[in-house]
Amino acid sequence: MATLQNHQPPAFFIRGPSPFTRLSFFAAISIALMAVDARLHYLTEVRQGFAALLHPLEVVAHAPMAAYDQTRDFITRQSILTQENRELHQRNLLQSAELQRFHTMQAENEHLRKLLGAVQASHQPAKLAEIVHTGRDPFTHKVIVNLGSQQGIMAGQAAMDEYGVIGQVTQAYPFSSEVTLVTDKDLAIPIQIERNGLRAIAFGSGHDNAIDLPYLPMNVDIREGDKLVTSGIDGIYPSGLAVAKVARIERNADSPFAHIICTPTAGIENHRQVLLLAMATMPAIPDETRKPPTPRSRHASRRP
Amino acid sequence: MRPVGLKDIYFSLIVAFTLYLLPWAGFGLMLRPDFVLLVLLYWLLRAPQLCNVGTAWTLGILVDLASGGLFGQYALAYAFTAFVALTYQRRLVLFNEWQQAGYILLLLLQTQLTLLILKLFAGSDLPGWSYFLPSASGVLLWQLVVYSRVRVTGIKDS
Repeated sequence: MATLQNHQPPAFFIRGPSPFTRLSFFAAISIALMAVDARLHYLTEVRQGFAALLHPLEVVAHAPMAAYDQTRDFITRQSILTQENRELHQRNLLQSAELQRFHTMQAENEHLRKLLGAVQASHQPAKLAEIVHTGRDPFTHKVIVNLGSQQGIMAGQAAMDEYGVIGQVTQAYPFSSEVTLVTDKDLAIPIQIERNGLRAIAFGSGHDNAIDLPYLPMNVDIREGDKLVTSGIDGIYPSGLAVAKVARIERNADSPFAHIICTPTAGIENHRQVLLLAMATMPAIPDETRKPPTPRSRHASRRP
Repeated sequence: MRPVGLKDIYFSLIVAFTLYLLPWAGFGLMLRPDFVLLVLLYWLLRAPQLCNVGTAWTLGILVDLASGGLFGQYALAYAFTAFVALTYQRRLVLFNEWQQAGYILLLLLQTQLTLLILKLFAGSDLPGWSYFLPSASGVLLWQLVVYSRVRVTGIKDS
């Protein structure tokens, strides 16, 4: 250390603490911050506050893009518009026919459910949000949308487009919220194979725009081209939404699990608009199952 | 060379931060140089009495907030890079343009490596080689600045 000191310039000028002292001080703070953020999740409110402060700067940064979009919208050629209009009309006709069938079937379904005494399938209202920009971190697959907690968005809501699930809201800031895409490594969705009803959990693979189905045995009944839909048992995603399609199955002899790779159905990187579904209200759980088992009953169940 | 005030430094840093906030996507996001770090390095090397490890750390915290990642990772990486930059700051007078560019490239790569290590600890996947593209584009941007005659050391080549 003494030899190091000799290389320092003489203290003619007031320079404050040496860079090394400063580095140690700030490094200690940032390591503490990282630990607190990763393990204890205390900083969510702090971050939301700062995000609200950063919002004006973000608006400024987005202004050129927004202006460009507006002018482009304005000068879109009329022929394109009429063509698009015709296509939309056709689709509307087709869909309205299907919708009518859907209505009658829904009524029928409700009637049957009533007959069965089953819980009513919950109706989830949705909000249309627009993607503002993709996440700034190249390691994660996230997008930022323009609705936030001021508009009633909460962390945990499901996000979808017209083809299927695209992800889940993971953080709601005051004026925007962060949607983690299904291809992100940290997102898991409970799914069901549409063909045979097999339940599993799908994880984002984190790269190549793919979804993995891990922990399924080698002899599992899954074929290439199978459709994965949400199973709806988590209370977040309504059941029956398309999630992905099985693209490739690798069965290696050295692993007890099959390696199943799926491609997401939704246009994850294509659209500007997403639908944010409100959280499903969990159906009422019957009282006797919700009550914690009393010691006596547990005792009784253990010894039949 | 005009003496620099704190106002210049803060203004340029805010501009760089706004550039960072622009909605980058796709290929642009992959290539996007780290504007904030480049401006920071410029001021660290030119006016170390005004811009120090603390400034780098504060900017890092802001970038952390904007990126929505783990809190404190950019702060640590920037502070560490600022320290290294300051350690060799006095030798910079002896460097020519290309040596200077190499020095900047090393600093940019070092920041990205620090970030990569921190993210691997936090459980991220190993990214591809394109992860280091921003360093290359950053040095290109730096060379543009050099050619536009804004010298870091203020000494013209003979």
